[in-house]
Amino acid sequence: MSNEKIKPFAYTEIVKDHFLNPRNFLMGDEKNFTYDAKGTVGNPVCGDQMNMYLKISSRKNPETNESETYIKDIKWKTYGCASAIASTSALSELAKGKTLEEAEKISAKEICDFLGGLPEHKFHCSVLGHEALKDAIKNHQEKGSPKTP
Amino acid sequence: MIYLDSAATAPLLPCVKNAVSEILEKLARAEVGNASSLYSSGVYAKELIETAREKVARFLDASPSEIIFTSGGSESNNTVLKTFENKSVAVSAIEHPSVLRPAEAYAKNLTLLPVDKTGRLDLNFLENFLEKTPAFPNLISVMLANNELGVLEPITEVKKKLQRVLKLRKNPREKCPKFHSDLTQAVGKLPLSVKQLDLDYASFSAHKIGGPLGVGVLYIKSGSPYKPLLLGGEQENSRRAGTYNLPGIVGLGVACDYCFENRTWEIYEKKVKPLRDSLAKSLLEKIPTARLNTDLENSVPNILNLSFPAAEGESIQLYLDLNGVQVSTGSACASGSLEPSHVLMAIHHDPESAHNSIRFSLSLETSPADLEKVIATLPKIVYNLQQISTIKLKEPKKCLTKK
Repeated sequence: MSNEKIKPFAYTEIVKDHFLNPRNFLMGDEKNFTYDAKGTVGNPVCGDQMNMYLKISSRKNPETNESETYIKDIKWKTYGCASAIASTSALSELAKGKTLEEAEKISAKEICDFLGGLPEHKFHCSVLGHEALKDAIKNHQEKGSPKTP
Repeated sequence: MIYLDSAATAPLLPCVKNAVSEILEKLARAEVGNASSLYSSGVYAKELIETAREKVARFLDASPSEIIFTSGGSESNNTVLKTFENKSVAVSAIEHPSVLRPAEAYAKNLTLLPVDKTGRLDLNFLENFLEKTPAFPNLISVMLANNELGVLEPITEVKKKLQRVLKLRKNPREKCPKFHSDLTQAVGKLPLSVKQLDLDYASFSAHKIGGPLGVGVLYIKSGSPYKPLLLGGEQENSRRAGTYNLPGIVGLGVACDYCFENRTWEIYEKKVKPLRDSLAKSLLEKIPTARLNTDLENSVPNILNLSFPAAEGESIQLYLDLNGVQVSTGSACASGSLEPSHVLMAIHHDPESAHNSIRFSLSLETSPADLEKVIATLPKIVYNLQQISTIKLKEPKKCLTKK
């Protein structure tokens, strides 16, 4: 790029896209989705809260031929700013289809990179979804073994 | 683009634009110079500044010698608080940060005067405080209209209470506190006289009334104590150092004149208030969960503040922006500080209401069609955000379709 243009929107195009067209969100009541595990992070008092809902299943790893548990489907709900909504949407795309072990490792930086960057002060307060995801996985592991597909 | 954030910066008045452009042309040709210089181009600049000062004084019902030009409302407010360094100060809890932060920094004793649920100063608390305080405050600062809610503060009643309690206390050494009011949101929207309001200090900035950015006014009643904030120059009778912002000051004078000649407060009352009130009515009808934060009967005619439960303000703001409508929010996310609006906190004591708040501020140019657009787009935006929100609404909306 030759010269930097002033963007009319404070966020990147990818953030804007995920904010305007969020993926995998749970519309309305959480009963509208059958899930195996739920995790939460944040607090409405702080202005941001995210819930992650996971449908967990097991499959055979084609390489090792061993059984592994993975995120078959994922939904989320978010109360918060554009960056909170976009980052949760991005996370849902990153996590879908991953094994629980892989999903647990998704970091705030990875979400931020996926979105093409976020304003500095937004990064710390609104990229929280991976914590909700970890919370969901923890809740699931404490609950017991996954359902068979 | 539909601009509904005039309380942040009002559109520049065409007459101001012309006047400022003319000055810039003259500056480019060196026909006007530095107002502190004694040769003719300097004298001309000084004349232009003094003409502007007369216009501002006439607008505020003050004497020209009582007007100081500053860089804006924030500097004016800071200067007043600086004057009362190491003194007792009482300010309303919903003052602009440019009053609150210097008050915290400079005052020896600082009392925050609470407000009621509408944002109006709690007069009972004030009376009780004045009766019981061991020493009267040296300065009281209460804004005339709040920038987020638009609520009007009962300054005349406050002054009456002060006089009454002062007599009651029967301490001949106690003097009536000096009184400062931030008039920023009230100028041009209400008929104003610093004499009738009996103010010792008043502040406002030009860009809220269609004047240029970066210029403002500090009114200091003749004989009131004064400590300059900026040192190092003889400008403004050594009361404010710094080269005169000639284009800004001329533009400010023209903007004040425009308000004065057109009696803009009457147009606001006649034309803008009905628009604002009908916007409130329509939005509350279409979004039953919305909460009205502005007292429509006791506010400037152009500000409307609403909270939309479970829908965060910055998200609403950005959705509206992408639909061509510009508003502001009290949400922490939208502010640099990451703190929710202290004004909404003071009236509701609830961070969520602050995070979910949106301020619409109208100008003389706002049309019914502008507001129709808001009424047509906002309910859907709020509905969608509420649907993906983690917060459950207390009174769920009726299902639009039944299976």
